[in-house]
Amino acid sequence: MPGEPKKQNHPIAAFLIGFIFAVLTLVVFAGVIHHLTISHHGPQLLKPLKDKFFPEHKSPILEEAKRLEEFEIHRHFHHIVEYPQLPESERPVCFICHSDFPHTKNKKVRSLLNMHTQYFVCEACHIKEQTDARIVYKWYNPYDDNPQGPFIGTSYDPETGNLVDVADKFSKLTPFFQKGDELESAIQKQDAPLARDYVKIRDKLTPEQRDGVKNKFHVSIKEKGDDCKLCHAEKGILDFKKLGFADNRIEDLVQLNVKGMLTKYEVFYLPDLFLAPESEKP
Amino acid sequence: MKSQRKMKAAVFCLGWIVAILWLGFPAVAADKENCLMCHKYPFVGRIDENGKRHNYQVDEASYNHSVHRSVACRDCHTYITKIPHDPVTEEVNCANVCHTKPPFAQEKFSHQKIIDIYNDSAHGIKPDDSPEAKKAKPYCKFCHLNPLYTRVSEKVIAFDETLRRCLNCHQAKGVTQAYIHMTHRLRKKTTRSPQEVVQLCAKCHQDVELMQKLKVSEEGLTAVATYNHTLHGKSVALGSQETADCISCHASFAIHDIYRKDNPKATVYKDNLMQTCLQCHTETNSWFVQIAVHPRTKREENPLIYMAGIGLRFALYGSVCSLVGLMLLETYGRRKDGIKFLLRRGTSWRGKSKRPPRK
Repeated sequence: MPGEPKKQNHPIAAFLIGFIFAVLTLVVFAGVIHHLTISHHGPQLLKPLKDKFFPEHKSPILEEAKRLEEFEIHRHFHHIVEYPQLPESERPVCFICHSDFPHTKNKKVRSLLNMHTQYFVCEACHIKEQTDARIVYKWYNPYDDNPQGPFIGTSYDPETGNLVDVADKFSKLTPFFQKGDELESAIQKQDAPLARDYVKIRDKLTPEQRDGVKNKFHVSIKEKGDDCKLCHAEKGILDFKKLGFADNRIEDLVQLNVKGMLTKYEVFYLPDLFLAPESEKP
Repeated sequence: MKSQRKMKAAVFCLGWIVAILWLGFPAVAADKENCLMCHKYPFVGRIDENGKRHNYQVDEASYNHSVHRSVACRDCHTYITKIPHDPVTEEVNCANVCHTKPPFAQEKFSHQKIIDIYNDSAHGIKPDDSPEAKKAKPYCKFCHLNPLYTRVSEKVIAFDETLRRCLNCHQAKGVTQAYIHMTHRLRKKTTRSPQEVVQLCAKCHQDVELMQKLKVSEEGLTAVATYNHTLHGKSVALGSQETADCISCHASFAIHDIYRKDNPKATVYKDNLMQTCLQCHTETNSWFVQIAVHPRTKREENPLIYMAGIGLRFALYGSVCSLVGLMLLETYGRRKDGIKFLLRRGTSWRGKSKRPPRK
């Protein structure tokens, strides 16, 4: 109508501000609804419904395992440095039952033997020899058909003297059966038909059935592993040079004092050269 | 002449002995007995008979950046006398005298002084404590891991510039280490953040069952919950680094002198409250110190606070819900009237209402 003020377009800023306010209001609203219904800080109005339709399955074993893990991290005065691990599906099948800390019996050496799981697959020490094949050792990485290294533990940092930190943290020394020109891996991979099947149905087996399967798994595995001196020797079964170890590292590995302490002495008393005299002790 | 030659020979021999000793013993390092030969590996460990996993790795890189970097392994683990050593069953005694001699000190270092303060505190084990209390009371390692050096904020100290001035006179290696060690402690009261302090204390103090066994006061049973309800607790939960945590109020700068509130030595004893609050609140007066820092919010205990809480909740929920409700009603009304929502030409709402105009 003539004389009536003409409707003006809203400026874009007005739409933007309106939009921002609408979003903020809805977010706060969503927060309030969450607080009222589910959040354990609020009255949990929908808790009965949640418990009815989505019951929480608490596993005492899982809870205990988590508690122990937390306890270990807390108990450990020195910092536990996380080391990357292969997902369970990529590990050799032994780890399903035996974990990274499989040695428990021999108090003298169990921790040291477990240390080797960073470098070896279990079969490296526990594989039974075959009459028609020679065992050769190579680095094996489930993500890389032909790992080139540098590999963990093979050289020292000349500045710090520590082992060099390497990118490839998953390669491990692995035995292969050599028959003529052919190399056949000696490890029982999780994708082997028997292992794959076992992973799927292990919970459904009776103890007796599981024992039977276990025997099958261990048919080419010997219970007692190889002696230290088989590897930690100048002419041992591992060709350190060929496996990419640096000369000074090889020297340390073949002349390893621990090996000597374990095999030559029952007890090795620490010299007290650096300790304070008794009179100065508190 | 003869004596001169003898003197020369003696000096020569002495020189050789010094040189041999110098070359024979490398610079003092924490691992002078080469414990890391075994303990440097990440998988040195075992699972014990109770299913507990024990990891015995000591990461050299981390250790060298920790406050104990100069302390040799056997200064703490004194019970290890042979290798391979037996399973360790003994706890480390933090009161041991280390072989480290701090600069400008005549005596070797020990934590004995702070341990004496701690033993006197509420957390220290007393002869008349029940076996349960003795077991539950925290020992050094319960709260203290081996802290890694961290740099204080540049706001507190211009790190590199200040160090450069020290290096004008002092040797780089020694003074840099000492400087890092000292500046690591240049914090308000603790090196830990308020969030870490609250989390640490809550580990035990929010365990009501444990606290009941230890016969703490009624107020003590709910200390964590009531703190979390306060402005202090909420600010800390939201990430504040300035707000008071447990240590701010319950300990002096000795940190370990935490006493029950009825002990005159306690920082929260009624006569000491003014001094304690003054640490942060410069306008503190006798009224201010009466404000409950751990207020009870249950209806029967504190009806005023309870009702105030309810009122505030209603105000929050009511205003937000009303706002959204209004938006929805308005939208519904307009749609019902046949007005369309358009984002072009003019207003966002267009069309003519079906409703007859009011007369």
